[in-house]
Amino acid sequence: MALFERMDRIPIPPKDAQKFTTVCQYCNVGCGYNVYRWPVGKEGGLKPEENALGIDFSKQGVALQTQSITETMHNVVKGEDGKLYNILIVPAMDSPINRGNYSIRGGTNAQAAYSPTKPTRNRLRYPLIRVGDEFMPVSWDEAIDLIARVVKGVKDKWGPDSVAMKIHDHGGSGAGFEDNWAVGKFFFIAVGTRMLSIHNRPAYNSEVWGQRERGTHELNYTYEDARLADTIVLWGANAFETASVFYTEHMIPNLQGATTEEKKKEYLKGEPAEPARMIVVDPRRTASVTVAEAVAPDRVLHLRLNLGTDYVLANAIARVVWEKGWWDKELVEKRTDLKTFEDYKKKSLMLDVPYDEFMSRVERLTGVKRADIEKAAEWIAKPKAGGFRRRALTIYEKGIIWGYKNYDTIAAIAQLAALTGNYGKPGTGCGRLGGHQEGYVRPHGTSRAKLVGSIYAGGPPPNIDEYVKNDPRAKVYFVAGTDPYLSTPNSQAYKKRVHERTLTLTKYLSEQAKLAGEPAGSEERAKRILEGLEKTDGLFMVVINMYEIETARDAHVILPAAGWGETPTTSINCNSRLLRIYDQFMAPPGDAKPDWWIWGRIATRMKELYEAEGNREEAKYCAGFDWKDAAEVFKDGGKDFPDNRVSEADEAMLPAECYRGVTYEYLRKVGQKGIQVPVRIDPKTGELVGTKRRYVHRFGTPDGKFKWYGTDPWEPDPMKFYPPQITKYFQDGNDRKFPFWFTNGRTQIFWQTGYNDRYLPEKVYTIPLPYIEVNPEDARRLGIKSGDIVEVYNLEGNAIALVYVNDAPPPGTIYGIMYHWKGSLNHLTTDYTDPKTTIPWYKASRVAVRKLKGNLEDVLKNTSLLPINDFTT
Amino acid sequence: MFMTKISRRTFIGGSAAMGALLTSPELVKALTSQPYPRVKVANIRNLRVGEPVSFNYPDENSPAVLIKLGERAHGGVGPDGDIVAYSSLCTHMGCPVSYSKKRFVCACHYSMFDPAKNGQSYQGHASEWLPQIILRFEPRTGDIYAEGVEGLIWGRVRNVLKATKK
Repeated sequence: MALFERMDRIPIPPKDAQKFTTVCQYCNVGCGYNVYRWPVGKEGGLKPEENALGIDFSKQGVALQTQSITETMHNVVKGEDGKLYNILIVPAMDSPINRGNYSIRGGTNAQAAYSPTKPTRNRLRYPLIRVGDEFMPVSWDEAIDLIARVVKGVKDKWGPDSVAMKIHDHGGSGAGFEDNWAVGKFFFIAVGTRMLSIHNRPAYNSEVWGQRERGTHELNYTYEDARLADTIVLWGANAFETASVFYTEHMIPNLQGATTEEKKKEYLKGEPAEPARMIVVDPRRTASVTVAEAVAPDRVLHLRLNLGTDYVLANAIARVVWEKGWWDKELVEKRTDLKTFEDYKKKSLMLDVPYDEFMSRVERLTGVKRADIEKAAEWIAKPKAGGFRRRALTIYEKGIIWGYKNYDTIAAIAQLAALTGNYGKPGTGCGRLGGHQEGYVRPHGTSRAKLVGSIYAGGPPPNIDEYVKNDPRAKVYFVAGTDPYLSTPNSQAYKKRVHERTLTLTKYLSEQAKLAGEPAGSEERAKRILEGLEKTDGLFMVVINMYEIETARDAHVILPAAGWGETPTTSINCNSRLLRIYDQFMAPPGDAKPDWWIWGRIATRMKELYEAEGNREEAKYCAGFDWKDAAEVFKDGGKDFPDNRVSEADEAMLPAECYRGVTYEYLRKVGQKGIQVPVRIDPKTGELVGTKRRYVHRFGTPDGKFKWYGTDPWEPDPMKFYPPQITKYFQDGNDRKFPFWFTNGRTQIFWQTGYNDRYLPEKVYTIPLPYIEVNPEDARRLGIKSGDIVEVYNLEGNAIALVYVNDAPPPGTIYGIMYHWKGSLNHLTTDYTDPKTTIPWYKASRVAVRKLKGNLEDVLKNTSLLPINDFTT
Repeated sequence: MFMTKISRRTFIGGSAAMGALLTSPELVKALTSQPYPRVKVANIRNLRVGEPVSFNYPDENSPAVLIKLGERAHGGVGPDGDIVAYSSLCTHMGCPVSYSKKRFVCACHYSMFDPAKNGQSYQGHASEWLPQIILRFEPRTGDIYAEGVEGLIWGRVRNVLKATKK
C-alpha cells in the first residue's frame, strides 16, 4: 500500500558493534552522528545490556529523550574488508551541536550510503573516458596518464592559464581539509593557473570580502550566542530550512525563554535576561518567519524589502541607531579606525542628508516602512533597562551574499554590527549562517599563481564561467565536486557554450583520416587531443564526482570519487567553527578514490613525465603529492598555516581555519567534542587551545582596529538603482512582457543538487520537479493553481516548474527552487556579477509565467501541495 | 491474532538462522513481518469530516489517530476512500502531532505531514514519513479495524513489542 517500501523493524546493533565518530555530510550546522557497524546476520537484544546503544528496546521510547532511530538511519554496506555490514547512523546525543536532534537531510545519512542493491547504486565505480558518443571504463593508470599528458602538454604550450577549474573549496559532503589541500596544491603549485573558480560561483573569491576587509572573518560567533542573544537577526537567511537544527535547537529555545538561566551566567551583574526577539529580513514570508511567529508572535519583526536593496536598509537601520544615540561609543572609539569612520558616516549613514528626507528615500527604494526600520534599530541597539547594551547576533547568508552589490551589502551589515558593539561578547556576533561546512586550507604563501582580493585588494578575480565560454585560450577544464550545468548563474547560456566547445574537441578526435575512429591508448589519445586543442577552439573537460552528474554528459574523462564515510576526512561547521573527524566506516564503490588521491596521482604522473624529459624545475613543483593516507594530507596542509604559538588576543590574526598542531589521533580522542578553530598552541603550556568566540580583544587587522567603509551612493528610482541586467527589463515593452520579479533559494527537503536525494523515494515523491511559489493574488491573475505545470521564461532562458500557491513570496514576485535534478531555474538568472568581487546576483531577475497544458497525474496523486510556511493549528 | 505481511525495503540481518535463509525471499518476508493485532478503532457512523479520533495501536503505548479527510486519500478506506489512520508520534523525535487544516503538525520542531499523501513529511525536520496504519472497513457493520502499520513507529526498533506467539 505504501508509496515505497517501508520497514516496521530494524536490526539492533549488538553489544560489540563497532562505533565511529562522524558529522553529517550535509549542511553548515554539522550535527554530530555516531555510526554503529556490525556484520550482517548478527543482532543485539532488546535489553539495554544486550545492545550497543544501551537502550531498553522492549519499551516505547520517550519523546525528545530517547535516541531517535528511523528507517532511513539503517543500511547494509560493504566494509573495507569486503564483508557486508549493517550500519546504523544516528544523531549523536553527545554532540554539543545537535544533542540528538537531526534534520530531514541528516536523517538520511545511512540511506544515502552506497549499496549495490539500494537507490544509491547509481554511483560511479570506474574511471570513464569518452570515445565518440560513449563512455568506456578504463583503469586509473590509463585515465591518470591521459590527463597528466594533456595538462602538461597544454601548460607547456600555452601556459598555466590554459588550465581552468571549478572545484569545491568546502567541508562536508566528502570534501574536507584533505581534498581542499590537494586541490590547492595541484592548481596553485603543480599547475600554477589563475583560472580558478569555486563550486558555486564564477570566480575564485571570498563571498564576503565586504566583511573580511573590515577585519572580521565571517565565522566569528559560536552557536551558544544564538542561545544568549537578546535579538537574533536573520538577514537573507532562511535558517529553519537551511540550518534546520541550529534554528530549532538553539534559536527557538531562546525565543521561548528556555535559555534564561544560561543568559544569567554569561550576562553582566544586574543585566536583564529576557526571551529573545527575532528580526527576519527577507522578501519572502519564509518558514523561518512563520515558525518564529508560531512561537512568539509579539517578538518577531519581518522586514520584507524589495530585492537587492539590503545595503540601503542596513545603512538606514544604522542611521536610526546614530540619530538615537544608541551606538557603542566605547567600542567605536577604542577598537575601530576613526579615520575611515568619517567615510562611513558620510557615505553609508549619509549624515549630510536630513533624517526625514533620508528615511523617506529609503522607504521609497526598499519598500520597508520607516516605523519598521526604526523598530529594527530599537530591537538591535536600544539599551535595555538599567542602561545595559542589547546583545544582537546577526546571521546572514545567500539572500545577501548572492544579492545586488555583494561587497557593499556585506560591508553594510558587518558595519551595523560594529556600530552597535556586537562583536566578541556572549550573545553577539555578525557572520554567515553558512551553506555547507568548511575545510579551507590552500597553499597561498607558496602559490605560483597570484591570487587577488576584491577591487580594493588587487582584484577583482577573473570570471572563469566567461573564460571557458568564450576565450579560446581556455583548453582544459576541471569540474570536481560540483554540477555547474545546474548551479552556475545564467546556466542555460553557460552549458550551451561548454557543450559546443567540448563537442568541437570530441568531433575532432573522431575525424581521424575521415573515419569515425579514434587513436587508442593514453599516449596516442593525448597527442590527438593536444592537436585538436591547437586546431580548434575545443575544450577538454574532466569531471570528478560521486555520480555521473549533468555536467558529465559533455566530459572527456569522468573520475569516480569516494564520498562521505568512504575515507576519513575533517571539516568545521559554520556556527561554531568546530573541527571534528568524519571517520571512514565503509568502502567506496568499485574503484572510486578520494579526491586527494586523484590529485596526488595526476601530479605525480606529471612529475614523472617532466623528469623523463629532464625538466627538473617543473618536476619539482609536481613533487610532494605521494601521500599514503588522509592523515598525511591533513598534516601536510596543517603545516602551511603560520606559527600559531600566539596569545589569546592574537587569535584574531590567525587564518580562520588554522588547525596547525592538530592530528587525527587528537581528533579521534576528542570525538564529538572537537576543537574550535582557529586553534592556537598555548605559548606557556604547549597545549592545543580552541577559540570559542572571535575578536574578543582585537580585530583581525595589523593595528587590531575594525576598518570602516563608505558604501556606494544610491538613488531611490529603480531605473537608477539597478544595473543594466535588470533595467533592460524595465524598458522597450519588457516591463509588460516580464511582469514579475524572480528570486530563488533552497528547500529543507533536499541537499544542493540532490545528488544523493534524487535516489531516495521520500525525496523523489515530495519534490518531484523543480518548482515555483506563487502568491495567491498572482495565481488568480495567471489562472494557475498548486499542481499546475508552468513555463517560466525571460531574456536569459526558460525553465519548467511545478506550481505551489502560497503567501511566502510577496505579490508580484515569483520564487523558485534554485535548481533540481530535473531542471535548473538558474537559466533565468542574469550574468551580473559585482564588479568589486565577481560574486553573482543569483537572487533577482524578471520573468514571465505561462501555464502549460495538462498535469502530471503522478504528481497530483502523490505529492503534497500544502503550504510550507503555515504552521498554525 | 491477525497477521499482516509488511514488505521490506531490503533483507536485513536478523538472526544467524535468518542469514542462512537469505536465499529464500518468501521465508525472509514471513520471518520479518510483525504479528499485528486486529483492533476495531471506529465506526463510520461516528466519524465527522476533519474530526480526528484517537486510539492506541498496535498497543496501549503507541498513540494513533484516525481521520475522515473528506477527500480521497492514499490508503484511504470507506465508501469515499477518505478514512486514514497514522501513528501520532512524530517520526523526528517522538512528540505528538496534531491534526488541523488537512495536515499533521508537530509542535516540537514543526515537522508537517500530509495524511492524504501517505503521511508525507512535506516540511520540517522529519526524514521519514509518518507510519500509516492499515485499515479495513466492514461495509456491513460500518466498523473500521486497524490491521498493521507501514513504517517504523518512533521510539521503537520493531513495531510490535510484545512477545510473539509461536
